[in-house]
Amino acid sequence: MTGQLIQSLVDALSAGATLGLAALSIGLVFGVIRLANFAQAEIITASAYCLIFTWQLGWFIAVPLSMLVAVAMSLLMEFAVFSRMRSANPATLLIASFGLSFLLQRVYELMFSNNVRTAPVASGLAQTVEFAGVRIQLLSVATITIAGLLLLGLHLFLSRTSMGLQLKAAAADFRTARLVGIPAGRVIALSFALSGILAAAVAFVLTVQSGAVGPTFGVQITILALVGAVIGGIDKISGSLAGGFLVGFVTSLLATWLPQEMSNFKDAYVFVLVIGVLLFRPSGLLIKGRGVART
Amino acid sequence: MTTSPRGLWYRLGPIWSLVSLLAIVYVVTLINSFLGESVQVQLQYALVNLIIVVALQIFIGTSGVLSFGHVAFVAVGAWTVGLLTIDPELKRNLLPDLFPFLFDLNAPWLVAVVIGGVVGGLLALVVSPVLMRLNGLQAGIATFALLGVVNQVLTYWSSVGPRSGQSMVGIPDVLNLQTTMLFAMAAIVAAWLFQRTRPSRLLRAAREDGIAAASSGINVVSQRIIVFAVSGIVAGVAGGLFALTNRVVQSSQLNIELTFVTLAMLVLGGMLSLSGAVIGTLVFSLVDVLLVRMQNGLEIGAYVVSVPQGARAIILGLILVGMLLFRPSGITGGREFVWPFRSDRPLPGMPPTNES
Repeated sequence: MTGQLIQSLVDALSAGATLGLAALSIGLVFGVIRLANFAQAEIITASAYCLIFTWQLGWFIAVPLSMLVAVAMSLLMEFAVFSRMRSANPATLLIASFGLSFLLQRVYELMFSNNVRTAPVASGLAQTVEFAGVRIQLLSVATITIAGLLLLGLHLFLSRTSMGLQLKAAAADFRTARLVGIPAGRVIALSFALSGILAAAVAFVLTVQSGAVGPTFGVQITILALVGAVIGGIDKISGSLAGGFLVGFVTSLLATWLPQEMSNFKDAYVFVLVIGVLLFRPSGLLIKGRGVART
Repeated sequence: MTTSPRGLWYRLGPIWSLVSLLAIVYVVTLINSFLGESVQVQLQYALVNLIIVVALQIFIGTSGVLSFGHVAFVAVGAWTVGLLTIDPELKRNLLPDLFPFLFDLNAPWLVAVVIGGVVGGLLALVVSPVLMRLNGLQAGIATFALLGVVNQVLTYWSSVGPRSGQSMVGIPDVLNLQTTMLFAMAAIVAAWLFQRTRPSRLLRAAREDGIAAASSGINVVSQRIIVFAVSGIVAGVAGGLFALTNRVVQSSQLNIELTFVTLAMLVLGGMLSLSGAVIGTLVFSLVDVLLVRMQNGLEIGAYVVSVPQGARAIILGLILVGMLLFRPSGITGGREFVWPFRSDRPLPGMPPTNES
């Protein structure tokens, strides 16, 4: 029983870490230009396709390449679409990113067909190890480690480097940041690039988990990440991270511990929880006070 | 009361916007009904979508608040009509886990559609006190969560529908194109009349300036609740018609994809006006019909125009993204038709006419 408990906690931690990273990648961009980028899903998908197709060349090629693809796509989206919509409100931007997401999914369908592509990506991580009577998935441990390292790196970058501080300032208050001379275009591009790196990490974890990638690969996690970011407080970088983690953690625990006939409805419980959180803390769990929703 | 000629035109302006929309729907239906069976089927779906988009416009256009949740009302409307119109014998065999009282519940299809609207409106009314307090992105996420909850309940709760992963079949074939067109026209008339009521006017004022409206004594939340419930009724009716058109109801068809497509239609036309809802749906659907034909090779005179399989959805996506980039207020720019036609026609180069 204790073993099962620990095991489910590790799984939940890993699910929370994955979703936290995905939510963070959305929150980083939102903080700067108020875009909740739903097409983040297609960045994840592209990166995952890249892993599947290039894995046979060795991980030392496939992993950097998949990161490169994610960053390039993220920047391309910014320059081709979103940089032209600076004056639009968040709702219009969200719809535009929906449109882009739909469009890219169809492009993937045309390029790679509707069927899933498979490859044994990092199959070594799919093993289970037994440790003091507790069976633990190696992938869960790896996920938690990757997320921890990325977060540490991001934290150091944001608090120790000049560019990172500029980004942090822009995310806190874009207008004031511009007034004190922070270059807007560069900071925005930086936020997209960082969000691309996070998307690549999410893609890696998910690809190892499933080993199969289809055109809508990234959609499910992006929906949950968006939801998580908003309930955590998408206005703050730490808010989106915490919200994403919470949604992933709770969903995973519900899936493990609810009886079969009730666990079918696990997403429904999470969504009801989301509506409840939004009702009492509309600006997010980590934002103090009710606040005025910036629209 | 004396009115100057200009005043008369001014007063007739709004009626003209209604008449012209009804005429457009009628003419489009008339033309398409000569184009063969497959086009007629597509048109019937387009008219059902038109009603969903009108429902979306009633709420989003009036309140300025984004809703991803209206397809939930469409879904319960479709479920209601399915449960009420499938033959009781068949229902016992196909849906064995239903609540017992649902087995013998039966209604003529027209009554069932009305009840579908009532159920859709009731659901909207019940959830609205919670949802209508939110603005902007939060409202979008919360309504999306509503869709998620309703969809999952309908998928897995076999006491009110099929077992998970299965669909409701055996819905009678009673709805023809003309009747669907009449329903679409009725929805347009209803939306047009509703635009002239007090809640709609107050909410439009709040949309333009929330703080000014609230300080003039408008209770924004309660006006939103009324408007949300009305649009829920229209969406429920649309759901019922979807069930009768599709004749198979499955929760996976009433989810994100339909939400996205109907929102795209609204954005394309311009979400602030009823004309936008109608024009957006018709333009989107007509382009879609054309593209489907082109996938099979469309003959124009001596030429055969064709696009590769799968390009259809890409072109539709490009049109939407392009519209948001270059004309974010949509084809109609958020205005209604007025008399005489001034600049309210689509501007040159703006509408998606790059398919031929």
